Amino acid sequence: MDELTKRFLKAKFQAHYKNLNLQLPPSFTSREWGFISFDPMPDVIMKRHKYFGSFNEVSEYLIGMAPAHVYYSVAYYDMPGAPRMDQKGWKGADLIFDLDADHLPGAKMTYSDMLDHVKAESLKLADFLTDDFGFSEDNIELVFSGGRGYHFHVYDDKISQLDSAERREIVNYISGRDLDFKFFFKEVAMVGDTGSGSKEFMGKRGKIPTKWVLEGYENGWGKRIAGYVVDYLKTEAEKGKDNPKEMFKDLKENKIAGDATLKKLAGFASDESLLSEITDKGRLDFPVKDFKGIIEYIIQKTVAEFGVDAGASVDEPVTGDIKRLIRFPGSLHGGSGFEVQTLKFDQLPDYNPLTNSLAFDDKPTKVRIQRPFSFLLNGQEFSVVEGKEELPEYAAVYLMCRGVANYGY
Amino acid sequence: MSPEELALFPFLTETSEYVEELDFSLDSLMTSIAFESVRRRGFERVMQAFDGEVSKPSFGNDKEVLSELLSYPYARILVSCVNEPAFTRRYALAEATAVHSIMKKRIEKDPEFVLDIGKDFGVSAVQSEEHIRIYFSDYIRYSLSMKDLSWKLINRHLEHGYVTIQREEFARLLQEAVRKRIEGSLPIPEIPDEIRNACDAQVTELKAKYEEQRQNLGDADLGEVDFSMFPPCINKALSNVREGVNLAHSMRFAMVSFLLNVGMQTDDVVNAFNVSPDFSEEKTRYQVEHIANNQYKTPSCATMQTYGNCVGKDNMCAKIRHPLSYYSALKFLAAKRQAEEEKYGKDEEKTANENNNLENNEPG
Ligand code: SF4
Repeated sequence: MDELTKRFLKAKFQAHYKNLNLQLPPSFTSREWGFISFDPMPDVIMKRHKYFGSFNEVSEYLIGMAPAHVYYSVAYYDMPGAPRMDQKGWKGADLIFDLDADHLPGAKMTYSDMLDHVKAESLKLADFLTDDFGFSEDNIELVFSGGRGYHFHVYDDKISQLDSAERREIVNYISGRDLDFKFFFKEVAMVGDTGSGSKEFMGKRGKIPTKWVLEGYENGWGKRIAGYVVDYLKTEAEKGKDNPKEMFKDLKENKIAGDATLKKLAGFASDESLLSEITDKGRLDFPVKDFKGIIEYIIQKTVAEFGVDAGASVDEPVTGDIKRLIRFPGSLHGGSGFEVQTLKFDQLPDYNPLTNSLAFDDKPTKVRIQRPFSFLLNGQEFSVVEGKEELPEYAAVYLMCRGVANYGY
Repeated sequence: MSPEELALFPFLTETSEYVEELDFSLDSLMTSIAFESVRRRGFERVMQAFDGEVSKPSFGNDKEVLSELLSYPYARILVSCVNEPAFTRRYALAEATAVHSIMKKRIEKDPEFVLDIGKDFGVSAVQSEEHIRIYFSDYIRYSLSMKDLSWKLINRHLEHGYVTIQREEFARLLQEAVRKRIEGSLPIPEIPDEIRNACDAQVTELKAKYEEQRQNLGDADLGEVDFSMFPPCINKALSNVREGVNLAHSMRFAMVSFLLNVGMQTDDVVNAFNVSPDFSEEKTRYQVEHIANNQYKTPSCATMQTYGNCVGKDNMCAKIRHPLSYYSALKFLAAKRQAEEEKYGKDEEKTANENNNLENNEPG
């Protein structure tokens, strides 16, 4: 990035901050702020431990400095401006989820595939936060990160005091880690005509009729499992209509059930009323032997399907980090020029960052391309090679931020 | 609550307010003849920490209630003077266990009473038929230290922020709340010398007993961590860490699980990494706790070899198949040698037979 380019980008960012309808996070005066400036680039130097006492101070700083990256702390402190972490006095922190393609497995994907994948994960997470954890959408800020993912900020007094280990327990929940099927799948004795409601009857054991039920099928993971079991069986039944060989292929291949068992299971799978017993009453006894193995297998698949890749690999303790800095919504991401945008949950399904987060217009802008580069922006495919180019401003800014182009010729 | 009830739950805010209003001077508590019974009971409370549970009296008269009430602050002074973190933990646990026994019974008859105790800890919970629904953050705060998988949030029924639990489970969670509160409030800072002197005899007795118990336990257990008995692979890893050399993931894992298995505390293991300039406490703690919570086994020598982590094999290595056996073998030999020395004087000789038997110590 040459000097002219830096000056150009700073002027563009400045204009953005002048027009921005600045929305500051709750208790912004208790937060630490951090900035990375264009000036020393390619060196990345973070100025941390800043603090602002008023709305105008923040606004003036952003317009005056036009930083490349703007962050604030998820934590609130007694003295947010203190130069050392141990002097700040931690008071609490928002609960943060950072779903970024950087942290997610399955490395080799195109940029837009990656964005789609992260979006799918984000939708799952939104469901966990509102349904299972009962947070109101008003207390959750969903933000496109300006890069490869989405951030969720949960602002709620009830969770601000949680420590790192406690936050990781939440991550475990949403990612499905440690889900043990024995806590969801139970054998209970029948009550009524056919049974005594106990596994023992007149001193005898073993002869009492029992049924298998899905515990907690009405909510949380129990509900997800019930739904998945039904979906799975229905899908397999559909496959079976076209080609019986395709049905329960995975169960066969993984040697989870034998032919006789699968035949009975096929009958079960096409019986709508039996299937609705699963979601409506949590009944889960298939009329076959070794169905425990089958259920265990399906529950594992449920976890794979619904668990959120929360970037919670051992090396990425994002949610557990109660002092981290996070991008300021409304700011620009200096590595892409995209706007870090706040979204409503219902905007997420149709949100396309490569169109919606563009902060600049299509005024023709001259750049010198450094190396061949292909990209998709605003629904348009671009493919450029070394040399002079005139591009819409949003595309020019994008390439300059990515270090692929310099300004002017 | 009545004074009798307050006396059974001495750690509650309401109790300490009540005791404060009684307005007894600390001086008289420590020295006055009138409070002899308070001091006796206070000392007994702390002594009972060695047995794992503080006994709870039934009261004959108001004087006994008062003794019980005041004995708690007195016991706290004793524990603070002993000032051994491990002992403080045991004392807190013993107080909490006692309260758990009461709450477990009480919650079946009178759930509201126990829910009220929960309120003192800021726990949001409500009754729902036979069950109790508790807000998830309160649930996590007190269930996290329980190792059994059944306590993990994911294996619970969570609906709109509330976890449904059994009544007795609620009592168990409160035990943890009590333990944390008592442990967190000890030791009392800056106890004046006059107070220390006044209870010196009892403190000395407690310290002696603690020391004696620790030694006995030490023999049963792996005891104190003895770095000189680590196998070469682990020593190499430790010195790499000290020199700021990055460990391969598999070696890092092996070393952490080894250190945890020989009885090092999580904090100490985390600190072992606190040498490099890019040390991230948060990240390291996460990894260490992850390994500790899942009680992962330390990899065997064969696995260590597969990953190229078996470095510096020595003579002892030829006799074992697991890094932990290396450690327990040396510990065993050292203890044996010491015992023999005490019996027969110095004798360095050890038979081959003894060494061969050690292979059976390999962890499963
Ligand atoms: S033989 Fe086992 S104990 Fe010895 S260095 Fe190798 S891995 Fe470590």
